[in-house]
Parts: sequence; structure tokens; C-alpha cells
Amino acid sequence: MPSSTSSSRRLTASDRPGVAQPVPVRDIPAHRWGTVLVCALVLAALLIGAWECHWRKFGAYPGYRDDAMMWARQRLRIDAGEGDATVLVGSSRTFFDVQLPVWKELSGRAPIQLALDGTSPTTPLEDLADDPKFKGRVLVGVAPDLFFTGYEFMGGNFRNYRKHSPSDWVGKWLSMHFVEPYLAFYDPDFALFTVIKRQDWPLRSGMHGGTQVRKLTQLGPDRNNTMWTKLVTDPQYRALARRIWDEDFHDPPPSAAELLEKKKTLYLQIARNAAAVARLRARGVTVVYVREPSTGNYVDYETREFPRQAAWDQLMAHVKVPGIYYDDYPQLRSDRYELPEWSHMTQASAERYTRALYAILQQQFPPDDGSRW
Amino acid sequence: MVFNTLTFAAFFLVVLLLHSLPLGWKTRKVNLLLASYVFYAAWNPPFILLLWISTVVDWYAAQGLVRAERPAARRAWMLLSVIANLGMLLYFKYGTFLLHNFTALAGAFGVHYSPPPFDIVLPVGISFYTFATMSYTLDVYLRRALPARNFLDYALFVTFFPHLVAGPIMRPTELVPQFETPRRATLQQLCFGLGLMTLGLFNKVVLADTFLSNAAERVFDGGKAPGLLDGWLGTLAFSGQIFCDFAGYSTTAIGAALCLGFCMPDNFRFPYAAVGFSDFWRRWHITLSSWLRDYLYIPLGGNRHGPARMNLALMGTMLLGGLWHGANWTFVAWGGLHGTYLIAERRVRGWFAGYQPGPLALFGLGLLTYALVNLTWVFFRAKDFTIAWHVLRGMLGANAGAEPILPTVYIVVVATIIPLLVGVHWFMRERTLESALARVPAPVIGAVWGLMIYLIVISQGAGNAFIYFQF
Repeated sequence: MPSSTSSSRRLTASDRPGVAQPVPVRDIPAHRWGTVLVCALVLAALLIGAWECHWRKFGAYPGYRDDAMMWARQRLRIDAGEGDATVLVGSSRTFFDVQLPVWKELSGRAPIQLALDGTSPTTPLEDLADDPKFKGRVLVGVAPDLFFTGYEFMGGNFRNYRKHSPSDWVGKWLSMHFVEPYLAFYDPDFALFTVIKRQDWPLRSGMHGGTQVRKLTQLGPDRNNTMWTKLVTDPQYRALARRIWDEDFHDPPPSAAELLEKKKTLYLQIARNAAAVARLRARGVTVVYVREPSTGNYVDYETREFPRQAAWDQLMAHVKVPGIYYDDYPQLRSDRYELPEWSHMTQASAERYTRALYAILQQQFPPDDGSRW
Repeated sequence: MVFNTLTFAAFFLVVLLLHSLPLGWKTRKVNLLLASYVFYAAWNPPFILLLWISTVVDWYAAQGLVRAERPAARRAWMLLSVIANLGMLLYFKYGTFLLHNFTALAGAFGVHYSPPPFDIVLPVGISFYTFATMSYTLDVYLRRALPARNFLDYALFVTFFPHLVAGPIMRPTELVPQFETPRRATLQQLCFGLGLMTLGLFNKVVLADTFLSNAAERVFDGGKAPGLLDGWLGTLAFSGQIFCDFAGYSTTAIGAALCLGFCMPDNFRFPYAAVGFSDFWRRWHITLSSWLRDYLYIPLGGNRHGPARMNLALMGTMLLGGLWHGANWTFVAWGGLHGTYLIAERRVRGWFAGYQPGPLALFGLGLLTYALVNLTWVFFRAKDFTIAWHVLRGMLGANAGAEPILPTVYIVVVATIIPLLVGVHWFMRERTLESALARVPAPVIGAVWGLMIYLIVISQGAGNAFIYFQF
């Protein structure tokens, strides 16, 4: 195609005030663009292949992305007729430690997994409480540092879950069928800027360091989550994961004002839970809270910052529904399970833990309507 | 549907296949029209009704204009189009804003008015397609163009998916004639079009979303008053982000149209190489600035009635141009600042008439223009005036004791990309992309293209919407 003006300057509407604009003409530079495109695609394929090999060598394998669509898919099962299901809300421990296939084997039906990494379950619980379609059972996982602070690292995943566009749904479907099951590098932990950010950059004067939590999970299409095997097999990676948790455990003691604020936040979370549970109970929904095991420096930190008496016991006193504290049940105690980075169980441990937890729930806290958990 | 998603990739593949089938031209146009409706409905299907209203009203208004003989009747048809389009825009885009301001004004006079909740979702692209359809009626009213010969060509002009939601804002005379004769892209057009799409997506996914948006976000949304370095870096990062985001969209749109055999006009011409603000507006969002000039500034009197009236027309145009971007006074301030710059520039040019800057002075003036444009971006990016003042004070070094905000990696990224971006703009100042590419050896182009695809893929963009979608 010829150029509209010359090879180096093309007129636009800004050069033609107050007149009807003519049909634009776009010149094509004189190259064999078909050949150039093929070369580009070959190079891109080679580079992407090398990137994939690099991450597979690192220990990664394909899995599903835990994004807002993934959460919405599970949450909308209630709207789609599964209002009588068992729903799991909680933070990452509920996500790791409860294995859906084991639960399904015991109960005959897989629960709806709504737990989210780094996120308090209170808002999703309130959402269930406000949904008249939901009349099932809820297991609420309690990780004290998230639950009693109301922290919502992945809060974006559950906001507006009913407002995703048709385009979002098609995109997720395509991704789950053609991308996620095949590419190991397609994981937020291996995204370009994430990789660049975690290089050893000098710390800017006046700023505190803080390492972003690394990949710990491997997700299935039904949001069944297992621990990434690298944490089990690679001692260095496991040590790194522990070191990252440990960075949060050495804050200076809070001031009196901060302490007061912390206490207010804790009681606010308890009050929110109590209100949500009251609404659920009024509809006949069975609710049980679970404090999952933790070990090492993590449990020391939790015990120091959120002592059982001041946190868990207060919660139980207000929500007035049963609670399962791992230390109170020999079959749930942390020394029976392997938690490589102090907070989450290996897949094998999680499967045993799920059996033990399910047995307690079914035997000691059976649903009011006589159904199975 | 957003260009940087798998959904669009699949959609575009299907459209390309359909368009290349040996079908009649009318059938292929119907395919394109239906595909464009699917493209739009993929966000929020009910809003397709608004698109239809805008399409039908302007079609009949233009028909009425042709038949009308009396000036009053012509004016009435033109006003019908303007009122219908601006009415939709006012309701959906400015309804909440107007209500808030009315409530605040009433409160200032001691009247406490609590309006019922007015929770309106902004239909994506409404500012763009209402301007496109209005230009159709206005061109006929101003006797610059004849109406389209058939409804299909006209409806396709309004709805053609590459430009539908974020421009370039097409004029009917640019696109309708292209639908009158059969078009199918040549292999050269198809491949070059794919190259433009890659370049556009690279700008959006890699530069804007991956590298620059985070730094801007930390400074503008972090809740801390920035110091001198953070204030400037955050603003510079946003200047790069907004360019790469929006120019990236336009380039992808132009590439997508070219793949189908259609030509769309440039929307950007390396704006950060502008020397002066009139030059900047000839390079930034060209299709909007020329639209405002042709249908607002010139009808308001333009430069035909003396300097005072011209300044008034200029300021009015820029204030409304600012408001077009969003229902917030910060956008009005952004437009007002640009209006002030333009008026001041005319005055300064009068003082220095005949002055021809040398290369170094030209570069210095270019940098000064870029620095002043950055000050305006603060109002564009900040959610409210408090944040804008915090950042501006930071940029002037007036936030004593400000804590550092950006970690080293962000500083390195912004300090690397922004000078490169400005450098590229300066190098390309008097060139087009095509003229520059013609001089680059094909293997180099292939290598850079492959690298861009690779970086787009490994960036793992989350399909973030383009910034201009909200306008």
C-alpha cells in the first residue's frame, strides 16, 4: 500500500481542522512480513520452551490458578442448587489441611472449598449468612493472625463474585482447558515481575525488608489444594519458606495505643462472626469452628500474640457454636502431622488429618438435620 | 472483551476465519457486525441496548437532516442526536457526580438533602461510541459529509469492534467508505497487523501493567505523602503507564482492523517528544483532540473572534475535554491546567515570534513540556485533590520527613523505562513507525517481535482492563 504522504510523516485529523476526514491509508514497510512473523513465532516458541524447562527443572508442574474466577466457580455452586452443601471457609490452613477427595470418600459428597490464602474467613461467612439459598453446613477455619485481625490478602477474589462478565467466564474456561493444565510456568510465583522483584536488590535507606511469601500450593480444578512437593523434597526451599514466616515474628512490642487498637479489632472480628453465626443458626445451618494445627516458630508467635484465652476462648464464648481446638483432641495434635514450614500440612498428613477431623465432626457435632458433613 | 485476554484471542481467531471465507461481501459485513455485538455484549449484555439506541437515533437524525429543508428543522434533527447521546452520557456517566455536587451545593445553603442510592454501572466505551455517532450526524448537519448509503455500513461503522470501546474515535467519512467495497487483508497486511497487535499488547501487558503500574499505584494509592524522589518517580511511572496503556490499545485496535483489511488512523504520534502543548495535543489522543476541535472549539468561535474569545473557547474545550475523561473535579482540573498551558503558550509564542530553537534548545523545550505534562498527570491519576496536593508537594520537595515509598527495584525499573520511552519518542519525533521499520533489517524485526511475544507470555498479565475503558 502506498504511503498517504511520505515515508516519514503521515497526516492525521490534527492536520486537517474543520473538514470531513478522509479514509486513512496505512503503509506497510517493505519487508516479507510472512517470513518475519514465522521467525518471530519460532523464536518466541523457543524462548517460552526454555522458560518452561527452567521452571520444571526448579520443581514446578502444571496446576490451576487460584484467582477470582476459581473462587466464584465454587461459590456459585450454592446459587446453582447446592445450597445444602458443606462449605469450608477459612484461611490457607483450611485450604491445605482439608482434602476434598478424602472428605468426599467419607461423606459421599465433596464440600465447597471457599478458604483463601492469607485471608480471614469472616467476610465470606457473612456472605453465606446473607444468602437465603444457603442452608447447609459451614466449617470455619481459624488461623489466629488472620482471623483476629480481619486481614484479607486475597479479598479481591470474593468481592463482586456475581458480577463477572461472560468474557471472564469464557476466559477462565479457555485457561482451564488449554493453558493451566499444560504450562508449569503459568503461576503467579513465576511471573516476570515477581521474579525480578525477588532478586537481591539493595534495601533502600529507611525502608524495611519483607520477603513475599513464595509458592506453597498446587491447586486442582475443584480448588482442592495440596502442598507443593518442593517444600517436602527440597530442604533449602523449606528453610526459605520458614525464614519468610519468621520475618513477621519479630516485630517490636506494640505501644499501648497499638495494643488497644489490636484488641478492638479482635473484638470486632468476634462480633462480626457472632452476628453471622446467629443469622446462619436462625436458618438451621450447622456451624463449627476449627483451630488447625501449627508448629515451630509459628505457633510460638500465635501463642504470644493471640493467646488462646484472649482470642479463641472469647470467640467460642460469643459465637455459641462448637469449636475444635487441635490441642484438645489427641488425633488432631500437631505432633501427629508433618508441617514442613510450621503452618501447613503435607498432602499425606492432610489426608490423615481430614479423616480424623471428619470423624470428630460426624460423631461429636453431627448436623442438626441428621445429614452428613 | 479486553484485547489482552484469552477470550479475545479465541474471538479474533474466529472472526479472522469467518472473514476469510469465500462469502459475499454483505454476508461478511453482517458477520463483522454480529461479531462486534458479541464483543460488546461479552462485558454486560444488557448494555447493547444503549449501543442500539445510539445507532438508531443518529441514523434517523441524519436521514431527517437530509430531508429537512428549513434551517430550524435541520437544527432540530441535529439537536435530537446531541441530546439523545449526551443525555445517555449524562445519565450513565455523570449522574452520580451531578447528584453528589447538587447535594453538596444544597448543603452549602443549609438544605440537607439525602438522595436515594444512585448506583449506576458505567457502560463500557459509552464516551467513545456516542462521540462517534454524534460525529456522523454533525458531519451531515455541517454539510461536510453525506449520510451512509445503507444502514448496515452505518451500523458497522458505529459498532466495528476494534474501535468500539476505546477508540480511535472514528469519523464516518473515515470508515463508512471502507465498507462499501469488498475488503480482505493481503498476507502483508495480515502479518503486519499481527505485528502491530503484538506491539500494542507489549505496551499494555509488559510496560504498563507489569513494570509501571505498581510504582504509580504505590505512590498515588499507598496513603503516604511522598518525598521528592518518590513523588516524581510515581508520576513519571504513571506518565509511562497511561501512554503505554492507551497507545497500546490504539495500536492493537489499528492492527486488528488491518488484519481484516481496514485502515484506522493514528491516535498517537510519540507525544512525549512534543515541544509545547499545542504540539502535544496534535500527538496525544489525536482522534479525541481533533473531535473536540472540530465539534466544540470551532463552533465556540475558535480563533475567529479575537484573543479573548479564543481563550474562552480554548479553556471551555479543555475543561469539557477533562470532564469527558471522568466524572470527577480532578479531571476538570487536569483539563483546566492544559487549557492554561495552551493559552500561556500562545502568549509566549507571540513574544518570541520568529525564534527558531537549535537542536539543544528544542530538546530542552521538549523536556520542559514533558515535565509540565507530568504535573497535569498528577490530577489525572489522583483519586481526589488531597492526594494530588500530597504528590505535588512531594514533587516540590515540600513533604518534610516523608518516608520512602518505592523499593529499589521500582526505582530501577522506572528510571530505566521512562528515559528509554522519552528517548524513543524523541528519536521518532518526525518519523512514523512504518518509516522507521522500513530501515531495520528483517531479522532484527523478527527477533524483537519474538522477544515481545515471549515477554507478553511470561509477564502473565491478569487481563487488566485498559485505563481508558472507564472513560
